[in-house]
Amino acid sequence: MRILIVDDSSTMRRIIGNVVQQLGVAKDDFDEAEDGVVAWKLFQDNNNYDVVLTDWNMPNMNGLELVKTIRTVDKKIPIVMITTEGGKGEVITALKAGVNNYIVKPFSAEILKEKLDGLVKG
Amino acid sequence: MSMSQEEIEALMSGADDVEVDEIEEEIPVIEEVSENEKILEESSDDEDDSIEEINVDDILAGIDGIVDDEAPEETPEIESETTKVEERESEINEGQYPLPVSNENKVVNQLNEVADDSEKKASQIFDVLSFILDENAEIEDYNKEISAFILKQTELLESLSVKFPNVDIFNENLQKANTLIETSKQLSSKVDAENNRIFEAMELMQYHDINRQKIERVMAVIKKLSNYLNGIFEDDSGKAEVQIAKHISGDSSEIVDDDDLESLISEFSAD
Repeated sequence: MRILIVDDSSTMRRIIGNVVQQLGVAKDDFDEAEDGVVAWKLFQDNNNYDVVLTDWNMPNMNGLELVKTIRTVDKKIPIVMITTEGGKGEVITALKAGVNNYIVKPFSAEILKEKLDGLVKG
Repeated sequence: MSMSQEEIEALMSGADDVEVDEIEEEIPVIEEVSENEKILEESSDDEDDSIEEINVDDILAGIDGIVDDEAPEETPEIESETTKVEERESEINEGQYPLPVSNENKVVNQLNEVADDSEKKASQIFDVLSFILDENAEIEDYNKEISAFILKQTELLESLSVKFPNVDIFNENLQKANTLIETSKQLSSKVDAENNRIFEAMELMQYHDINRQKIERVMAVIKKLSNYLNGIFEDDSGKAEVQIAKHISGDSSEIVDDDDLESLISEFSAD
């Protein structure tokens, strides 16, 4: 399973990467991006990702813009928004933009595992 | 005579109690004063009419330890206070007071630095945790190798103890091997428990990111507030800075009344 992890915090990218590794994904099977611009470039260059895990608030291009941009070319790829934005309005906005699932920080490894399992099986 | 440490400390702290040495040192001064008084008395006896002509100030000036009790002139103090106020005003105008507008004191800069530094440190902590996880994985691998070897030895010892039931050493070693297998299982479970704690610590490090975002929110508020205040206080009239009055009626500072004013005017007119 190829995963794209997008977050401006290097610590968060490592935390998510660690959880993903616990699920059995090899280190070489996931890429990291610090903002939407880098993520979009990686997405275009390596169009082989199975899941995108993205933060919302990031410089240059935020997560919501990234989701909308990806959805213009790929309607199927599962996208999970992992963010501190915990408002109901934000969740609805993200879902409308094309997010498949939503995780509010801080989250437990179990939650991410469940959501990823659900997306991959579904 | 050298002072003891206690005396020095008492002196430094301005203690009221006078030490013996100090009194001893003061005695000559008193004696000196007495001698001068004698001279004065003698001179007064001899020259009663010319007492006013004696320059007391000169005599006092010649005696050590006599402190002038006269109140200091007020004018230099006022001048000094005025200078201080002017200096302070100048510091405020130059952006030096209460703190100079340097990168170290700019609020948003400092918050930014804190956020960045915290991110670096968090990354270093993550390195340490990852290192422990990697080391634990190696320990687990070694433990598996050791456990596999002991299991084979156990099988060997079991067959030997069955074939040679009278040889105690086989049975003893078999028991020891079984104990070691248990120890190996305990070691493995301890490493697992430690790994779980490290994963918990890694999860908790999400709060670093949450706190960073809280700092960024504060920074955004400060920036907006700064822009707003700059806008609302902006003076686009192009007028030069007006000279402001230092003492105005109604101020808490002392203002000259009519009598003082007249007195001052007449004093200076007399000169």
